[in-house]
Amino acid sequence: MLTVPGLTIIGTAPEKASLVSFVLDGVHPHDLGTILDAEGVAIRTGHHCAMPVMDFFDVPATARASFAFYNTHAEIDALVRALGIAREMLG
Amino acid sequence: MDLADLYRDVIVDHNKRPRNFGRLEHPNRTAEGHNPLCGDRLHIFLDVEGDLIRDIRFEGRGCAISTASASLMSEAVKGRRVADVQHLFASVHDMLTRHDAPVPAELGKLAALSGVREYPARVKCASLCWHTLNAALADEAAPVTTE
Repeated sequence: MLTVPGLTIIGTAPEKASLVSFVLDGVHPHDLGTILDAEGVAIRTGHHCAMPVMDFFDVPATARASFAFYNTHAEIDALVRALGIAREMLG
Repeated sequence: MDLADLYRDVIVDHNKRPRNFGRLEHPNRTAEGHNPLCGDRLHIFLDVEGDLIRDIRFEGRGCAISTASASLMSEAVKGRRVADVQHLFASVHDMLTRHDAPVPAELGKLAALSGVREYPARVKCASLCWHTLNAALADEAAPVTTE
């Protein structure tokens, strides 16, 4: 995911759960959610019931991809492709 | 549903370069709008004389739809009579929420937001600025919230 220009991962603890919160320069997380959905990728966007953390990181909201044992590399590639499309569209 | 119908060129342009963005030095009406689910915040500043909106500015941060909507709204209401603006709000509201309604010609560039009605979760992004404008015109002290 870090190959996408302008992408910042929020929360980089060494032993974190299998989810990645991130922001993309110039593209609000809610726009990301809508664009990724149209590309067949479901993510969660918003405050994630953790508004004080958003203030701490000084972001309006984040996008969040969650992974489980059934996710494949191809699906992660699809996510990265869709992020590129979002960047092209609004970034 | 085609994404290009939601993120039309006019929307993308107004998101990147919002018009009337900033503060008025001496506003005589202001209001704050907040969409707690999105985190969108919006502050509207007005210079109203009698029933004429002489000037408008807005600031805040939000998604492309909410920023473009506020920018388009600011262009549409500047120099207009309050009664006309209320009529315009009703037309915008219909456009955003009624699937079958034809988009009236009087909406002009605001018609670029008609694609939002295919995305129910995004309607509040587009309407927050209008509710906030209404509150400013009514001189309401309490912040507007979409929830």
